[in-house]
Amino acid sequence: MKQNNMLAMILAGGRGSRLHDLTNKVAKPAVSYGGKYRIIDFPLSNCANSGIDVVGVLTQYESVLLNSYVAAGRRWGLDAKDSGVFVLPPREKADANLNVYRGTADAISQNIDFIDEYSPEYVLVLSGDHIYKMNYANMLKEHKACNADASIAVIEVPLKEASRFGIMNADENGRIYEFEEKPEHPKSRLASMGIYIFNWKMLRKMLVADIKNPESHHDFGKDIIPAMLNDQKNLHAYNFKGYWKDVGTIDSLWEANMDLLDANNELDLNDSTWKIYTEDVTTLPQYIGADASIRNSFITQGCLIEGEVQKSVLFTGTTVNVGAKVIDSVLMPGVVVEEGAVVQRALVADGVRIGKNAVVGSADSENIELVAKRVKGED
Amino acid sequence: MYDAFGIINPSSRQIWVEGLEDYRSIGAFSFLGRYRIIDFPISNMSNSGIDRIQVYIRRKPRSLTDHLGTGRHYNINSKRGRLQVLFSDHHQEHDIYNTDISSYADNLESIELMHHPYVVIAPSYMVCRIDYAQLIQTHIDSGADITLAYHTVDNAKEAFLSCNTLELNRQKGVLGIEPNHGNAKVRNIFMDTYVMKKEYFIDLVKKAQSLSSMYTLSDIVNLACREADVRGFAHHGFFASITDFKSYYDANLELIDFKSAMNLFDDEWPFYTKTNDSCPTKYYETAAVTSSVISNGCLIEGSIENSVIGRGCVIKKGAVVKNSIILSGTIIGEDVHVENQIVDKMAKLIRVKEIIADPENPGYIRRGDTI
Repeated sequence: MKQNNMLAMILAGGRGSRLHDLTNKVAKPAVSYGGKYRIIDFPLSNCANSGIDVVGVLTQYESVLLNSYVAAGRRWGLDAKDSGVFVLPPREKADANLNVYRGTADAISQNIDFIDEYSPEYVLVLSGDHIYKMNYANMLKEHKACNADASIAVIEVPLKEASRFGIMNADENGRIYEFEEKPEHPKSRLASMGIYIFNWKMLRKMLVADIKNPESHHDFGKDIIPAMLNDQKNLHAYNFKGYWKDVGTIDSLWEANMDLLDANNELDLNDSTWKIYTEDVTTLPQYIGADASIRNSFITQGCLIEGEVQKSVLFTGTTVNVGAKVIDSVLMPGVVVEEGAVVQRALVADGVRIGKNAVVGSADSENIELVAKRVKGED
Repeated sequence: MYDAFGIINPSSRQIWVEGLEDYRSIGAFSFLGRYRIIDFPISNMSNSGIDRIQVYIRRKPRSLTDHLGTGRHYNINSKRGRLQVLFSDHHQEHDIYNTDISSYADNLESIELMHHPYVVIAPSYMVCRIDYAQLIQTHIDSGADITLAYHTVDNAKEAFLSCNTLELNRQKGVLGIEPNHGNAKVRNIFMDTYVMKKEYFIDLVKKAQSLSSMYTLSDIVNLACREADVRGFAHHGFFASITDFKSYYDANLELIDFKSAMNLFDDEWPFYTKTNDSCPTKYYETAAVTSSVISNGCLIEGSIENSVIGRGCVIKKGAVVKNSIILSGTIIGEDVHVENQIVDKMAKLIRVKEIIADPENPGYIRRGDTI
């Protein structure tokens, strides 16, 4: 807080219901990604690497695992004297009933007391379910230089996809004059990344007004940002270039994992100046057997590979036995593929066992098969 | 929870591992890619319920202190428990007075301050899984003055030549400690592991000092065997003593086989180490890896067979790595063939075509060398 006077709030309450069985028991930010990470490691590591040391995480849906996961702030180095990761689920207060978070803005409103305790000058609002590397300190620098009331990070998306996003229309200086949520005929390609820096005093006033507004959805995109534009506030678009992915579906989660196999992938996880930190799981190193064959794959510690792996991402502690084949697939932590089994174009959920000689997924399927339950083998 | 504190002892002057030891003490050697040797004794202590641990350093502290840090990664309570790093104050590396006894004497106050009645002393240069709680219990039940752990081997003629052996009577009473002269196949190799009462230990340190300034702990315990009740405790399972170049090479290669590794590793007995936050390893289209142990953060385009690869290594296209131990951050360039080698940290083998040694006499590439 001392160095930049900015506190971060990560919105991590979403279920991500299009991820089906993967998010039955955990919230989307806690879904595994990239061999050893969980999605929320990205915003948390970005905070740590950007010199932000107080982070509130707003949780709601299936939050037991997520709460205990983020509470260990040490994983991201956020455990210094004046730093910490604070888990903020909805709570009962003396002057208000227990309310769930009704929208993204409401989640912040309900924690005004928490933020006030630190009285920051700036509040950074982030999504807990995006995969990207970003230096928020640079965004703050530009925010200050433009004398903005709020800054919104934007990324250029292809015009034909623009109608899936919240589109920011800005002038040549980056000042936003219009915001359109999922427009049918987008006027620009600048999509909001759901990353905001607000001057806290101003945002606080707006949130207090928003709570009282019965018409409001209590949402940043739908209510707060339009209200700010209406009030002629200085809203600045911060242009981000680089890898950014919101993994909403099984196909896009699979794709985001496959991106790691691409030699030109912009998300360089090997960059020692901007590491992504995660839970330090105690495991063996990778054990590669005598008959193993591994090509074009991303594999982490604790894996035992005795079979064939091609174009796949294998997470912590997975096993591929002799004669098994894993092709174009993502194996989440603890998956076991038994002897002779074949897994193709599939995403296998945590701890699932694929039995002997079983066949899962197929090379020419349109969609990626999600395997969330044990598949029985045959002898 | 047993009422003992732990001491992790450095190797004595009589032990020297060619090459690697120029840069760090044996405890700080990389092992099986992601570990350091010292992770094994410290994890054994931590898993045995010992949470006050003193690590003594005789020389070259940088690498070891860097790895140990606060000791938090060893799963010991951060308030009640403590990992303490202790140095001998006034001796040079090659000084004949630089013995384990002299470093205990220099730090006698911090030993006396320990409120635990028993002490377990274990070496920083041996790899095994051992439950010290069981060792302490056996010691207490037997009423012995000192209990020493040993491992019976049948290859003492060609291996363990820098180790000591225990001469035992039928009741597992220790008659004496003597060097392994390599003249018999079957020997009880002393694991340089002791348990005794703290007060007894302090008396031994003082006695050793009064008898000879060059005495080590094993010297004085050997003398004590004449009058005191000294017993042996047999260890079973994987055991390696990293006390010369070949033993380091062999121990790594032996553990490449998953079944052999299961003699050391156990899900219920984790070995902790410091995380480096490396990302997973990337295998490219041209990679061909068999019978190997690979760490995270590597980029592999070439072939690897029967080898251990450390963190963050780059194995380029056409490169062949066979029967070798590659330490972290090393680059093996295109079409370079490396066989029967230990390649120390951050070396770059890029301009040479072949580096092949005799399997009985593995080669060594120095830390940071470009060849």
